[in-house]
Amino acid sequence: MDRRRFMVLTGAALLMSKTDAVGQTPAPVPGKEKLIIRSSRPINLEAPLAELTSYHTPEGSFFVRNNMAEPTIDPAQWTLRVEGEVDQPLVLRLDELRAMPMVTLDALLECAGNGRAFHRPRASGIQWEYGAVGNQSWRGVRLADILARAKPKATARHVAFDGADKPPTPQAPDFIRSVPLWKAQEQHTLVALEMGGKSIPHLHGGPVRAIVPGFVGSASSKWLERIMVLPNEFDGFYMKSNYTAPRADNDKEIYSLQSLEVKSIIVGPADGAKLAPGKVTVWGWAWAGEGELTGIDVSGDGGQTWTPAAFTGPSGRYAWRKFEFPWDAKPGAHTLMARASDSFGRVQPATRAHNRLGYRWNVIHAVKVDVA
Amino acid sequence: MWRSVAATTTTLLAIAGVAAAQEVPIPRTDGWELVMRCVICHSVEISVQQRFGPRGWSETLDRMIRYGAPIPPDDKAALMKYLLRHYRDPDARE
Repeated sequence: MDRRRFMVLTGAALLMSKTDAVGQTPAPVPGKEKLIIRSSRPINLEAPLAELTSYHTPEGSFFVRNNMAEPTIDPAQWTLRVEGEVDQPLVLRLDELRAMPMVTLDALLECAGNGRAFHRPRASGIQWEYGAVGNQSWRGVRLADILARAKPKATARHVAFDGADKPPTPQAPDFIRSVPLWKAQEQHTLVALEMGGKSIPHLHGGPVRAIVPGFVGSASSKWLERIMVLPNEFDGFYMKSNYTAPRADNDKEIYSLQSLEVKSIIVGPADGAKLAPGKVTVWGWAWAGEGELTGIDVSGDGGQTWTPAAFTGPSGRYAWRKFEFPWDAKPGAHTLMARASDSFGRVQPATRAHNRLGYRWNVIHAVKVDVA
Repeated sequence: MWRSVAATTTTLLAIAGVAAAQEVPIPRTDGWELVMRCVICHSVEISVQQRFGPRGWSETLDRMIRYGAPIPPDDKAALMKYLLRHYRDPDARE
């Protein structure tokens, strides 16, 4: 590209992006004013911890993670194609999808990079802290039922999701992620049409998105319009480069992220809270990806001693669980901690080895409070 | 200066419980206008929250150039200099 053409392009870009021109304040996204703007184009929004108080995270507090600009979709023209290693390729319209049996389930979504901001050295990517996570009710068609109609061939091993979102240049890679066939056929994996009892909002991938509970959020592709049944993991940037981490047993090799980690966050009391002496309920949320939570311990002394806390409230297979601990607050400065464990024998760690893309952050959450 | 203003602003916003708006100041030192080439495709927050050493910034810019960012070699060097001046991780391994 010559310099003149570049200047024209740059000028056009600046005119188009008044809200994020250098030095400007990004405009809040309507309906998402409570969220932290991590980037305005594409839209990436994080919930402050204080917003994560409900079992079902309200739409206005639910994080947004987009790798690409949000596409425009006309639901009347929308179709879902199912192709690849199948005997019966499908093209489904919205009304045909709605006519299939539907199920409703609670599931947590968490961005693989949630907590990246805490890695030292710093890791590349959006600097999420705690709030790229939310829990909601999803309603949709089991992907297993759609795949059964398409009749996967014996060679089928993986299922890739392609959304209507496209990269800003033809040279940049499309956002396509795949999951193993066993996970695609698992009864909780949905082609979802509703979030929180309403049509899925556009920012959250409506009209139709994948919901792959237990896996990192990027598996739950938004604006879904193509499902590809494959003999191998999808060979693309977002499987082979991004959303990868070094293997635990051999850090020279990387793998594409699947299950979320075992993790917990303390919502109350808030970090920096000034409390009166007496009984204080330490509470928050815990989850374990493909694992099942087996315990949650709380410490009132910075991790020197731990006491089991109770899980309370609903217990969905892939939803987060509330935990509560009655803490006897005595005068002084204290560090509260929570530590979850799961059926894989995983326990939240005190440290996390550096990985260059800043994934897998599930280090024990510490909250400092003053009691006086 | 700007970084401390940004940090203070962020802290104040967090304390106030108002997290919806964050300033994204770009220090106006040599090379700042080259950041305009990044914002053709994505907003400036994407650029300024990264923290790399020389290798990390160089690889990132090379990848963006492969994706079509209009950054010829001379400008890449100047942009690298600017980014490393303001957006460098002192502990970066790459």
